[in-house]
Amino acid sequence: MFKLNLKIALRNLWRNRGITFINIGGLSIALAAFILVMIYAAYETGFDKSNPNYDRIYQVGRSMQDLKTNYTPPPLAQAIKDNFPEVEAVGKMKSGAFELPLFTNEGTVFTQNFLMADYSATQMFKIKPDYGLEKPKGESVSLFLPRAYMQTLFPHKKDNKPELVGLASKSAGQSGEVIGSVFVDPHSNISFDALYISNDLGKGEDYGFNNYQTYIQVKKGTDIYNLEQKINKLYQTELAKNSGNDDRFKSTTIFLDPLKNLHLKPKTGSDANYKVLISVSVLGFLILIIACINFTNLSIAQAAKRAKEVGVKKVMGAYRVQLAIQFLTEILIQCIAATVLSLIFAELVLPGFNSLFLVNLTIWQSNSSLIWQLPLILFFITLIAGIYPAMVLSGFKPAAVLKGNFQTSKQSYWLRNSLLVIQFSIAVIFITGLLIINSQLKYMRTQDVGFKADQVIYVKNIALFSDPAIFEPIREKIMKISGVKSVTVTNSIPDGSKLGTNTYAVDAKKELISFLDVDFDYFETLNIKLKEGRPFSKEFKTDAVNSAILNESATAKYGLTNPLGKTIRGCDMDYKIVGIIKDFKAQGFEKAVEPTIYTLKNPCGNPKTMIMIKIEESKMSETLASLKNQWLNINPKDGDNFRYQFLDQLYGKLFQKQEQLQSVFFAAAILTIFIAILGLFAFAKYITNGRIKEIAVRKILGASDLQIMKLINTSFFTMVILANLISWPVAYILTKKWLGTFAYRIEMPVLPFIISALITILLTIITVSLQATKAVKAKPVDALKYE
Amino acid sequence: MIEIKNIEKYYASKGVKHYVLRHVTTSIKKGEFVSIMGPSGAGKSTLLNILGMLEESTYGQYEFMGEDVTTLSERKRIELYRNHIGFVFQAYHLIDEMTVYENIEAPLLYKKIGNSERKSRIADLLDRFNIVAKKDLFPNQLSGGQQQLVGIARALAAQPSLILADEPTGNLQSVQAEEIMELFRKLNKEEGITIIQVTHAEKNAQYGNRILHIADGVVKDDVQVG
Ligand SMILES: Nc1ncnc2c1ncn2[C@@H]1O[C@H](COP(=O)(O)OP(=O)(O)OP(=O)(O)O)[C@@H](O)[C@H]1O
Ligand SMILES: [Mg+2]
Repeated sequence: MFKLNLKIALRNLWRNRGITFINIGGLSIALAAFILVMIYAAYETGFDKSNPNYDRIYQVGRSMQDLKTNYTPPPLAQAIKDNFPEVEAVGKMKSGAFELPLFTNEGTVFTQNFLMADYSATQMFKIKPDYGLEKPKGESVSLFLPRAYMQTLFPHKKDNKPELVGLASKSAGQSGEVIGSVFVDPHSNISFDALYISNDLGKGEDYGFNNYQTYIQVKKGTDIYNLEQKINKLYQTELAKNSGNDDRFKSTTIFLDPLKNLHLKPKTGSDANYKVLISVSVLGFLILIIACINFTNLSIAQAAKRAKEVGVKKVMGAYRVQLAIQFLTEILIQCIAATVLSLIFAELVLPGFNSLFLVNLTIWQSNSSLIWQLPLILFFITLIAGIYPAMVLSGFKPAAVLKGNFQTSKQSYWLRNSLLVIQFSIAVIFITGLLIINSQLKYMRTQDVGFKADQVIYVKNIALFSDPAIFEPIREKIMKISGVKSVTVTNSIPDGSKLGTNTYAVDAKKELISFLDVDFDYFETLNIKLKEGRPFSKEFKTDAVNSAILNESATAKYGLTNPLGKTIRGCDMDYKIVGIIKDFKAQGFEKAVEPTIYTLKNPCGNPKTMIMIKIEESKMSETLASLKNQWLNINPKDGDNFRYQFLDQLYGKLFQKQEQLQSVFFAAAILTIFIAILGLFAFAKYITNGRIKEIAVRKILGASDLQIMKLINTSFFTMVILANLISWPVAYILTKKWLGTFAYRIEMPVLPFIISALITILLTIITVSLQATKAVKAKPVDALKYE
Repeated sequence: MIEIKNIEKYYASKGVKHYVLRHVTTSIKKGEFVSIMGPSGAGKSTLLNILGMLEESTYGQYEFMGEDVTTLSERKRIELYRNHIGFVFQAYHLIDEMTVYENIEAPLLYKKIGNSERKSRIADLLDRFNIVAKKDLFPNQLSGGQQQLVGIARALAAQPSLILADEPTGNLQSVQAEEIMELFRKLNKEEGITIIQVTHAEKNAQYGNRILHIADGVVKDDVQVG
């Protein structure tokens, strides 16, 4: 029985191979998208999951009035360990994005992301150096490097003995010991490219040194909320003991953030990853639904054709279930074919997907859950796509279908059309969304951001230049190189980095504002416009001491109408305001420009290390070459290597997330409209085939070709219009919400709505007309002869 | 075998009842060969469909082999199809996607007949109807008469005790029609299969042993022949 049904199913599919192909093709594309989304989701939710204590590790964080941070003081860890038996282990880490060159005679590497961890933290996170880890003795620190770095530094190394590497620069003459290599799990929240392991971290530092990440591992069944309260209480008492009655810490509370949330939605960071994951999952799901709808629709459209078979089989003694299973089997066969194809498609687009999302996924990982998920998906799409047609087809009454002139019911007619409308609605939402994203991105690319990053290079440097006097000779040497227009040094470049904040007072008004420490020629290098007053200048001796420049937002915040000459106080300093600059969007378009004070001298700021050089466009390459050649001479404290990045590229990275979104929407819009059109194509084919007799009769009665084309197109046309009407408000609300995430944005445009309507209507008419012409061109006699 | 009493069938449209059958009462015994005749639209097909349980009457009693059909569950009814009733249609209604062999095999599969038994029965039927050479062809590769032979073979495969045929020769030329009628007579005489057919041709009716004349939904005449 099954074998026969299978045979019939295959014959049926072959007979309608055009439509079968469309069905399978559409579904496989959608499935490919869905599979990618699934492995992406599995990857994103799987950080540190291989850790056996995954569910029992928490990060300790501090919550202050307006911010949450994971920087905690070092004594806290030991205090937690000592007081709460339910805490099995505690670990401390400290990381920094401090670039340090390491070199041997064989090669040089630049570590960007060092991590200091105490021994128990490495145990907690299963960080295992390649030749094992001995607990460091006493105060000693063991340095481990990633395998790739070790390979560069010691290409001929065979043994597992420690080696010496040079630090910083040859002239500095410093060296350190590398114990060995370590595997850096890219799928872990703990990332580093240089690892210092010590017995303990932050010895002698008290509760004021909030520079460490603290992790705890609790026993099974621990009440986390309760523990959180207890640790908070402990923190408060310890704090009181240590820092007396400092008001600032009173309102600080402790919270615990589970390891499983750290990658996607940490309490102390952005949940952008989580949002991306959710939206991508929804997209994948919608695309799959659209493809399933094709199945349902086409199977119902086929109903008239299959009705006779149902009737005959029933009078031969088939139960309804048997027939339903038969139809489900047919759909299952197609779904299996689609799954196989989809794996091939997924494999093909995976490289592009990886580079878009900056991940490195593969479909068949050894521990891939895809192996059991795929059959499950197969089962579900077969059900979704097949259950309704199976119910409808198997429900036919033999007497009705065997009598002849059989019509599928009005009910399924409505369903079919509603499903088409849904498909097109989803497609319209994506097209509209894509167009609006495009407009906003175009706006961001063409808008004046208030500064010019072109031809400005950011030079990495490890020497400290907080005092303008120390930087001056360096500047002079750089300026001598032909092509260099201006040079400055600062402690933060306009690449979206958040600036430090501090309280400053003008007159009696205290406000929390951002601060940036710059050097002479900062505004000139970035071509930032002055509103009033003057920029910093070497001619004014006081500028290096206590002059300040504010941006427009800051003057607005203080409500200053006549700011020049006023005094602004902060960080135990009295600054005189000498100039006001126009706001510039150092943080991109999402955040409003922050009120900022620019000073040359600021005891509260980080040291100035980031050099920016503006270079003439025509002399770019030779200037870079000269800088490279003379760097050791120009800036001996930085070491032997001239390392730079183009500022416009760094700033461009701020657009990356939105460009990612744009690509996702582009793919989604193309896929949804493609699959919907595919379905429409096959559907229109069925409908016109079913109406061939009607068309023939109408032609004999004198209808013109155009009238018949109109007749066939009308119902589809109405459906697309309806789909547009439905999706406009949805698209409007969603895109409005998205635009709302930008501080600087376009007005909601009307054009995208009109364009997506035009695109869908045009595609529909073309698709339907392609089918209709065939029916119209056919000679009426041929259609009527066989009746 | 069949007892019907006061069968009525009407279609209601806009509150008005359009009667197709009225007060039809008759009984058909095992081994009879009954022809139902009457003008077009008289209700012949409707009556046959009711007898075959494809349609339900709006009123009246129907007993099939001593069982009350009106209270029969869908499952029970299908059991009856599997074991007792074979249908032959004017439009043949072979399944286009199945070969001749598979069409005949289908009812046996539903009846869960074992593999070897199935094979021998089909071989028998193919042989008997002289269509062995055609067994791997699809319906659209056969002539109308051949298709109807396959249709009858399919109806017989499950060894039914009753065959219901609605104008089985309606689409056939007279020579082919005679052949089919001969076959029916033989099945009736030699195997004792009860046959009820709807026909327009007096000539075809003569092959049976009883004629029910229907007009306007009422049995006008019930005559024995031969
Ligand atoms: N679904 C229906 N709704 C309304 N009336 C119906 C329906 N089906 C059949 N009829 C009516 O019932 C009557 C009898 O139909 P039936 O098919 O039994 O006639 P018939 O005797 O077989 O005619 P013919 O010789 O042309 O096949 C006809 O008048 C027909 O219009
Ligand atoms: Mg009839």
